[in-house]
Amino acid sequence: MNQDRQSTYSFPSWVDDLKPLLAAVGLGLPVVLVLLFWYGASPATTAVGYAPPQPVPYSHALHAGQLGIDCRYCHDTVEVAAHAAIPATQTCMNCHTNIRAGSAKLALVRESNVTGMPVPWVRVHDLADYVYFNHSAHVRRGVGCVECHGRVDKMEVVHQTQPLSMGWCLDCHRNPDAHLRPPELVTQMDWQPPAQMTRAAYGRQIREKYNLNPSEDCSTCHR
Amino acid sequence: MGVAAIDRRDVRDNLGDDPGRRAPLVLGKHDNATITDKVCRIVEMPKPPKAWYVAFGIALTVTGVLGAMLAYLISTGVGVWGLNKPIAWGFDITNFVFWVGIGHAGTLISAILYLFRQNWRTGINRFAEAMTIFAVICAGMFPGIHTGRAWLDYWLFPLPNQMAMWPNFRSPLLWDVFAVSTYMTVSICFWYMGMIPDLATIRDRTTSKLKGAIYGIFALGWRGSNRHWHRYERAYLLLAAIATPLVLSVHSVVSFDFATSMMPGWHATIFPPYFVAGAIFGGFAMVLVLAVPCRQWFGLKDLITPRHLENMCKILLATGMMVGYAYAIEFFISWYSGNPAEGFVFINRAFGPYAWAYWTMVFCNVATPQVFWSRRARQNPWIIFGVAICVNVGMWFERFVIIVTSLHRDFLPSSWNMYFPTWVEVTTLVGSFGLFFTLFLLFLRFLPMVAMAEVKAVLQKQHHEAR
Amino acid sequence: MPPLDPKSGGRALWRSLDDLAGDKAFQDAVGREFPLYADEMLAPSRREFLMLMGASVALAGMTACRRWPVENIVPFSHRPEGYVPGERLQFATSYDRNGAAIGLLVSSFDGRPIKIEGNPLHPMSLGATDPIAQGTLLQMYDPDRSTGLFERAGQGEGTPRTWDEFAVWAEPILARHKASGGAGLRILAEPSSSPTLLAQKKRLESVYPQAVWVEWDPLTRDAEREGARLAFGRPLRRHLDLGKADVVLALDADLFMDDPAGLSHTRAWARRRKGEDGVMNRVWAVEAGYSLTGASADHRIPVQSALVPVALGRIAARMLRSGLTLSAGCEGLREAIERFESHAFDDPRLDTIAADLLAARGRGAIAVGPRQPAAAHALAMALDAALGNSGNAVTYADDPEPARPGHLEAIAKLASDLSAGLVETLVILGGNPAFDAPADLDLAKRIGSVSQTIRVGLYDDETSSLCRWQLPEAHYLEAWGDARGWDGTAGVVQPLIEPLYGGRSAIEIAAYLAAGAWTPGYELVRTTWSTRLPAAGFEKAWRRVVHDGIEAGAAPALTPVFAAGWGGEVARLAEARQLGGDAMELLFAKSSAVHDGRFANCGWLVELPDPMTKLTWDNAALLSPSDAEALGVKAIGDLVTMSLPGGSLVLPAFILPGQAKGSVTVNLGWGRSRAGRVGNGAGVDAYPLRTAASLWRAEAKLARTPGSAMLATTQDHWVVDTLGRKEEQVRAEELIRTGTLAEYRAKPEFAREMVEVPHAAPISTYPIEYNGHKWGMAIDLSSCIGCAACSIACQAENNIPVVGRKETWRGRDMQWIRVDRYFEGDPESPGLAFQPMTCHQCENAPCEQVCPVAATVHDHEGLNVMVYNRCVGTRYCSNNCPYKVRRFNYFNNHKHETAVSMMVYNPEVTVRMRGVMEKCSYCVQRINAVKIPAKNAGRPISDGEVVPACAQVCPAEAIAFGDLNDPHSRVRALHDDARCYGVLEEINTRPRTRYLARLRNPAEGKA
Repeated sequence: MNQDRQSTYSFPSWVDDLKPLLAAVGLGLPVVLVLLFWYGASPATTAVGYAPPQPVPYSHALHAGQLGIDCRYCHDTVEVAAHAAIPATQTCMNCHTNIRAGSAKLALVRESNVTGMPVPWVRVHDLADYVYFNHSAHVRRGVGCVECHGRVDKMEVVHQTQPLSMGWCLDCHRNPDAHLRPPELVTQMDWQPPAQMTRAAYGRQIREKYNLNPSEDCSTCHR
Repeated sequence: MGVAAIDRRDVRDNLGDDPGRRAPLVLGKHDNATITDKVCRIVEMPKPPKAWYVAFGIALTVTGVLGAMLAYLISTGVGVWGLNKPIAWGFDITNFVFWVGIGHAGTLISAILYLFRQNWRTGINRFAEAMTIFAVICAGMFPGIHTGRAWLDYWLFPLPNQMAMWPNFRSPLLWDVFAVSTYMTVSICFWYMGMIPDLATIRDRTTSKLKGAIYGIFALGWRGSNRHWHRYERAYLLLAAIATPLVLSVHSVVSFDFATSMMPGWHATIFPPYFVAGAIFGGFAMVLVLAVPCRQWFGLKDLITPRHLENMCKILLATGMMVGYAYAIEFFISWYSGNPAEGFVFINRAFGPYAWAYWTMVFCNVATPQVFWSRRARQNPWIIFGVAICVNVGMWFERFVIIVTSLHRDFLPSSWNMYFPTWVEVTTLVGSFGLFFTLFLLFLRFLPMVAMAEVKAVLQKQHHEAR
Repeated sequence: MPPLDPKSGGRALWRSLDDLAGDKAFQDAVGREFPLYADEMLAPSRREFLMLMGASVALAGMTACRRWPVENIVPFSHRPEGYVPGERLQFATSYDRNGAAIGLLVSSFDGRPIKIEGNPLHPMSLGATDPIAQGTLLQMYDPDRSTGLFERAGQGEGTPRTWDEFAVWAEPILARHKASGGAGLRILAEPSSSPTLLAQKKRLESVYPQAVWVEWDPLTRDAEREGARLAFGRPLRRHLDLGKADVVLALDADLFMDDPAGLSHTRAWARRRKGEDGVMNRVWAVEAGYSLTGASADHRIPVQSALVPVALGRIAARMLRSGLTLSAGCEGLREAIERFESHAFDDPRLDTIAADLLAARGRGAIAVGPRQPAAAHALAMALDAALGNSGNAVTYADDPEPARPGHLEAIAKLASDLSAGLVETLVILGGNPAFDAPADLDLAKRIGSVSQTIRVGLYDDETSSLCRWQLPEAHYLEAWGDARGWDGTAGVVQPLIEPLYGGRSAIEIAAYLAAGAWTPGYELVRTTWSTRLPAAGFEKAWRRVVHDGIEAGAAPALTPVFAAGWGGEVARLAEARQLGGDAMELLFAKSSAVHDGRFANCGWLVELPDPMTKLTWDNAALLSPSDAEALGVKAIGDLVTMSLPGGSLVLPAFILPGQAKGSVTVNLGWGRSRAGRVGNGAGVDAYPLRTAASLWRAEAKLARTPGSAMLATTQDHWVVDTLGRKEEQVRAEELIRTGTLAEYRAKPEFAREMVEVPHAAPISTYPIEYNGHKWGMAIDLSSCIGCAACSIACQAENNIPVVGRKETWRGRDMQWIRVDRYFEGDPESPGLAFQPMTCHQCENAPCEQVCPVAATVHDHEGLNVMVYNRCVGTRYCSNNCPYKVRRFNYFNNHKHETAVSMMVYNPEVTVRMRGVMEKCSYCVQRINAVKIPAKNAGRPISDGEVVPACAQVCPAEAIAFGDLNDPHSRVRALHDDARCYGVLEEINTRPRTRYLARLRNPAEGKA
């Protein structure tokens, strides 16, 4: 073939210098992929930290934390039903008819108490609608509130602390030990196992005692 | 002098089977330069012939229609097709298997015939491979769009995800994903590998800077040096070795979609070989459908000679009878197995509501190729073309018959039903042809449709032997 | 059932929604009303969200911000005592249909009634219901219901009004009628068994002595009443106890699904079909159309309806000859009966029937259908008495309203009054007389001629369009009331929800007409019951009744004495002649779907396949194969014209094997013009052919008309060629394994040996042990009557969509449990077998292996679970399912739901989006609803605690469900029963649902 022809294209010499670049890309690609999936699992996408403003500036830090009101005083159906009911206005008024009865912050609550229209709380922990989570099934087995909801007793405004993703659920269902505690202490936010004992070790005892074997069946959560 | 003499003699035909001499595979007065000219002219002509524009226009329009159909399908739901229970697969999977089948000949020709040193492959392997790739593209589309929630298809790939879920590796559909994508990848590599020297040739001939640059980049700086040739040959051999098992594996895996199921009419161990034979059958038919007109229009009669066509006709005849054997053995087994459900499916195929489809299939795939027993038929382009078309129709119906007639009357008579494709399905099928020909026409326009380098190699041998 | 505080249960939970009809506003309201299920209700956004979710799970990371819409939780302001949000509550109530009630339990989620079940305490229900009773739930949520008051001047849609405006209009008129003693006042009502309404009726009669209360029922059962009047000189109610009957002769009578006591009949009959200790009852059916009773009968003789009395007469004659003596008062019948001997019609099997009945003296029953003349009923009563069946299987009780004139007589009188101009004010309480009254009375036109017409109805229908006022009626699930079962058992009707459209009940309206002022229904009902219940401790007794739904105690049985001198009537029966040539008898029948037409807009029912024809969305002229051939009807859907003196009708034909030669059946209630978006134009209206003279049977000429209609069946789509038919016969025998009692006695395990099952043990590399629960189902084909109540129960429980005629025609019907129907034998007089078919939960499931994304997998209790949110919709599983019980959402099937109709969804079950496969889950939500509380309480689950919707509703107790690992469970016992076999076991699917072979008890051991 006539290489001398003017139009003949040949790679310029600097192309050779690109070889290391090629190598870099080859090596870098896996790293990029890893980063991608890491980002996919990061709070930015799993709604961790989601803290919507509530219509009433209710402080869990104050009520559950400082005043030490038990979770179940308000969320009273948590042990018997799938849903941990949001308290009725009535429940607030039990105390607030006397305490801070005139507080401006409570205006909406008082109004609701009179009109009978509910307070439109904003949902924080929101699972997909095809997921059927049952509070009683977990609380009665010694899974503490804190495991999923975090230190609510320290939250001025409630926010999501866990990804609540399917993988996250499965992690616990596969090895629950580190998340178990005596069922009667589920609402104790700062509970620790007895000294010189790891949570896993203690949780193991609980699991064996109550014969807990968390299911990984699809039908457990999806119907 | 002598050379000329040989040439003159060979101009007439290369069909003689003189045991003494290997029949020449290039006709006419040809040396390397003329071959290069012949092939490159097609790519280099400033404006393609009107016919090309017309054909491309039509193909592109039909492709557009395909796009519209897909949009309609995905925005509305699979219900726009005529599927129902029990017939949950119809045209979609039929077309998939049909196109995958077409996609077989290419790699077979390039890989297996290469390993078997069948030199006559050189005339046709390039566009056969192109055909393969375009056919596999069409094929790959259908499993993708046949799902109810196509936007979730990526769940079929083993990607890490927040659900901590992997796909189900027991499912033949998943095997398809791997088989077809592997086949696709290897075919493309193979095709491209083979093209590098020819791309370099075009690069060297072209006068336009742009073309030069584009072809140049794809030629990867080929200089035709000894070392280049040496490595090229090695790589080509290796790829051929890799591709060969794939030829068998892909369609075997596709056949598993049916063979591993419970359905009478699907649940058969003969399927893998039966499907592979069928695929080669259909693939060669499609090669012929493309080759016959191409060699006419682009004046490639010297490179794609009557002998090439004749050889392919022989393959058609052979594979056609293999397929026919499969049809027969299916019936035998359905009776021999003593499985009543199985037995009924086949009786129902031949004499039930879809008998017309079954007999169309048998006629096209078994009866028509028999004309190739006659030498004259093997050498008459018109007959060849006609039979090839027939075979393609037949092979499409084979898949239709396997899928629909098996499903429409399965175990419980209470759920028996009929399947009537909607206009959307028909249009989608036509559209897939549009896509195929669009790509193929682009290939004809911009890439060397005959493997010049390899033909030249054959030519050298031919001249050498002639002396 | 928690005791219901009428205040909270009836009111406090509820705000009226009628002012919130507007969609957006309504949805907000819903959001506020049903806190935790706001998302369930707002399904459209929810489905988009599902899609979004699906698409974004693994793509997580591409989108930074929160992916789904902000959602509010709206708790009660004051939560009622002991109320747990999001938990299922059940309330007892009763449903009155054509003047006979069945007891119900209605499940309610956060105040939304979502499921209707039978009340186990109610003798007319025994825990079961029929399809129609369940359909009433969807009827209540029907967005096409009358949404308010309308006043019409002449034609047109009328102007919206308020109740006050109505009162302003009505008061002077009522006052005038009071003055005139109500001379010009007529009240046209549908039959009702409500004691309270009866009380209001009495009040009205006292206030307006001249006024007339007319009662009309298009499906009237007066024939039997008149028969009793003939035989005993006074109207009586006849009750059957099939539990006491060894031999039952059903003459043109469907004792199961076309009978006010059908559910109890079914239960009693089914309990005697098990063949245990080698005894079974035997049913003879002599009928024209194929009824469910005929299908379950051991012998069925297809006979033109007109000849059924002749058949009875001949049987009677045989029995007399073989020495039966008629009881006192009936001697006069003898020579009347002997006249049948000379009748042209005869059938050798009639002798066998006679012999069979004689052999079972005192242990038999003769039932005659409502289509037959009074004299036939009377004759049957006489024979029952002679055979000593009266007092055993057959009993009599007083008619609750002996003074009531016959329905036909009453409406005819009204028609004549109307044309005579005697009527100033016509009040129409319910019903739809303009649509369903006998055509020759021309009621539609005559109603239009009255100036002051008040219509109280659920729908703004054909009748409303002719009336000046359309008042929205409160659905029985929305209002207080009471009702009596056919046997007289009284129960309370309590509301589950505030009237969606501000309707008021017939009781309240009637009371208003009488008093001129509104009294809440609750007060009215309480007042009535204060007289029924002991004054001492009334409150306690009342609460008990409301809680249980019934006040125990049926009407007392009595032994009537025969009147004399009605032989002539019977003798006249012998004059019936057999029709032939081109003249055929046209039979009008109740539709198993739309009843008398009132359910024409209920999607569930309209799409429920007819048990016999498997026809949906249409009615048709049912022809016997030979008649079809004679007429040149080749395929179903071919059009035929029926010509009667009164007019003619073109409608599609359906070839029904077993239809009596020379008789054609047409279902009533179809072809509505003002039913709503579902019912309009579905089917053909046969009422125009129905005259007072020929209420049930007319003589018609049929002719083939060019053209044919698209009929959507769920089985036998298209004409199945002879090849297929033959194969169908062969397979049906293996699918529905049938044996006679004799065969069963000789070899109890005959069914198991009909098909060889090669695989002894499961072949698996990874054998799975089911150590915990092992759920299984057993379906007894011997007692299944094919009523398809299970299909509707499942549809309601699992949010199964209605797909419409075209989709059904395509073969995309969605019911998770279908009832397969196979004919056997001679097409002119075939046998019929039913087989409920749903997911078999195969332990070795073909569907699971082929799903590429593992969307259908096995769980550790052996459930074959379908994970909708994982499904990508390759439909491979459906292809590979040998039972074809998987259902695919080819489109977004919930697209057409409105905010109201979506309230019927069961929040415990995901609403499936487009492109997703779905199927029976053994009601996994019900399993979990029992399992979790049980585990919380640390107690084991006892047998019968977990009941899937289909098993719960079955009137025949044919479906058993439970834990196969529990050695004492009923399902375990049934799986070990000799009759038990698995369908397609031979392909090693190892189904968890197994069937019990069908037993028949033909006379002389042969069918």
